[in-house]
Amino acid sequence: MESKKKLWQGFALFMAAMLIMTYVSRMVWVSRMPRVRWSSPMSASIHNKVSAEGTVEVTGTQAVIGLEGLLVEKVCVMAGDRMEAGTVLYEVNTEDLLAQLSELEAQEEAWQKQEESKRLDAAADVIRAQEDYDTTVIELDRKIAEETKKREELMEDLDTHMFRIPEEDAADEIWIAWADERLRFDREIAQKKRMIEDMQLEKEKVLRQADRELEDAKRARSAAQSGLELGASGVSQVRERQERIALLTELSRNGGRVEAKNAGDILEVMIQSGMRMGADAVLRYADDTGSRIFRTVISQEQKGMVHTGDTVRLMFPGSAEEAGETIDSIVQENGGYTVTIRLEPGVALGRTEGVMELNATSEIYDFVVPVKALHNDGGNAVYVLEEKAGILGTELCVRSMTVRLLEQNEEYAAIADELLSGDMKIVTECDQELENGMVVKEWE
Amino acid sequence: MGNRLTAPAWAVREYGKWRKRRRAWLAAFICTVAAVLICAPLLMIPGGSLMDNAEMKRMLSPILGEGKGFAVWHLIPLYPTISHFYRLLIESPAFYRLFWNTVGMTAAILLGQLAVGLPSAWAFAAFRFRGRNFLFGLYVVLMLLPFQVMLLPQYIVLQKLGLYNHPAAVILPAVFSTFPVFIMYRGFTRIDTEILEAARLDGAGEWQIYFYIGLPLGKMGIQAAMVLSFLEYWNLVEQPMAFLEEQAKWPLSLYLPQITIGQAGFAFAVAVMVLIPALFVFALGQDALEEGIAYIGVKT
Repeated sequence: MESKKKLWQGFALFMAAMLIMTYVSRMVWVSRMPRVRWSSPMSASIHNKVSAEGTVEVTGTQAVIGLEGLLVEKVCVMAGDRMEAGTVLYEVNTEDLLAQLSELEAQEEAWQKQEESKRLDAAADVIRAQEDYDTTVIELDRKIAEETKKREELMEDLDTHMFRIPEEDAADEIWIAWADERLRFDREIAQKKRMIEDMQLEKEKVLRQADRELEDAKRARSAAQSGLELGASGVSQVRERQERIALLTELSRNGGRVEAKNAGDILEVMIQSGMRMGADAVLRYADDTGSRIFRTVISQEQKGMVHTGDTVRLMFPGSAEEAGETIDSIVQENGGYTVTIRLEPGVALGRTEGVMELNATSEIYDFVVPVKALHNDGGNAVYVLEEKAGILGTELCVRSMTVRLLEQNEEYAAIADELLSGDMKIVTECDQELENGMVVKEWE
Repeated sequence: MGNRLTAPAWAVREYGKWRKRRRAWLAAFICTVAAVLICAPLLMIPGGSLMDNAEMKRMLSPILGEGKGFAVWHLIPLYPTISHFYRLLIESPAFYRLFWNTVGMTAAILLGQLAVGLPSAWAFAAFRFRGRNFLFGLYVVLMLLPFQVMLLPQYIVLQKLGLYNHPAAVILPAVFSTFPVFIMYRGFTRIDTEILEAARLDGAGEWQIYFYIGLPLGKMGIQAAMVLSFLEYWNLVEQPMAFLEEQAKWPLSLYLPQITIGQAGFAFAVAVMVLIPALFVFALGQDALEEGIAYIGVKT
């Protein structure tokens, strides 16, 4: 009987333990059960806010050419900096600058002296040529005058001789003698005439030669005065030297600081302290007067909401600047869509990055749910809250339902499926990761 | 006739004793082997309930079609764990739901059998009335009919009564079961008729005789019927499967089929927990059970 009593006590204890454990296990079960919030699909339109980060690009860039041969002392700017007219870009070593300037000035001075000497020589040559010319003219005129006078004397002698014509009955010898005389006169006069003509020809020839020499002397003087005798390359060298002297002088006066002449955004700096500059560009910058474009890449989903010609709002991080611009083109590239916007002059100065925003309202959809209700189940899907009869009785459980995503924004998504209805309970929030068929309870 | 050699008497006696001992040892060996074979599934339960899934899978891989050769079994697990019991007792409220379903269903059946079957058995045992033998024969025939034969008629009746998918669909047919009536009847028939006649002569009424003589003296039969009914209805499978659609109304015996082969350890733990009440009832009613089984073999 005692053993039976103990058995009864044991059995009662077992049943009591089972009763307690029933409550314990139910509490554990419930404490681990996912809690969900739900809402029914509503009929609404989707307000889309397309946002995409992009870059501001400059279509044309300017370059600052280095002062060849100068030693860089300090670089004052870096890529990405904004520069205004007068901003110090870099400084050159002043000692080196002054040494080069002194050398150039010495060369210039020597060259000036040499040129002055040349000019003086040329002027003397002109004077001498002029004197030679004048002397030659006087000499030739004197000779011609002498010969002309001789000829005139001969012609007078001939006239005289003609008046002393013999008598008709004079002897033949007289006639012959007279005729011979006259013939001699004629010859001499003709000779003189030829001589004068020759001398005049000679004069013209000599004068022309003297004139040429004079002109040559004058030209040489002009050339000496103008420096034409240096030739094109020589003149260029001189000019370069003079320009460089002027440049270095101005730089020297400025303390070796090289300043920006225009405002813009520095894109690239190719020099560094201690290097000697070449004739290449030392700095590239985007001029404020140049044109800029904004480029961004949008996804396939976003492409459906963005169209060419749409007006978008551009914002630039780090500044309060905003601009309304029009989309110029949308091109498919590398799996995405590149949106290009040509910016108005003066927009996005000094900016390299920007954000494009576009607000668009869709048509009215029959089933719109919060976007957080969507999950991936080999495609877009939602969890539908349903009642299911199980061992524990009628419980709430979730069923994954694949849907077609028509459109979505950051908060809501328009979905479609033949089995969807407006009175369905769509799970919108859960404190655990859900799985198909999982038993859940409503959030209190 | 030559001289015939006869063994000494002491040798004959020793030989006889040796033969008896040999037979006894042989019988004991055969019974032991048979007992081990019969109890083998029961012996697997405690070990299996404490075995982790990896070890279980490794040993049962030939059965699961993932290995070659034969499945083996460790009575004592290599890596014992109470994880299955923890999962069952702490994390499985469904088990308790079905456990209490079973408790309620079994209790209702037993109480119903006491309310209906006990007077019937007493009537068959204590009274002589017209058609008694026919009626008792009908009881015996109904007792012998297997459930499969009664399935369709019971289903139709339950549908007509609007009891399908209701616990009463399992409880009511069991309440009116004839087997406990038969066992209790056997217990009541062991009461001497002289005692009943003497009581009547002393002026005792039939209810007084039933309560003060019948029930105390037929106690062993009643207990045996209750123990046997408990063991039968605690493990009821076919009736709830046929008549109860909602899982929430199922008894615990239908919980095991819900467990997949990959959760064999968990199933063993469930089996242990299912076994405990049955063991308690068996231990409490062992004497009555043996007597009740003996009643079945007694000729009327």
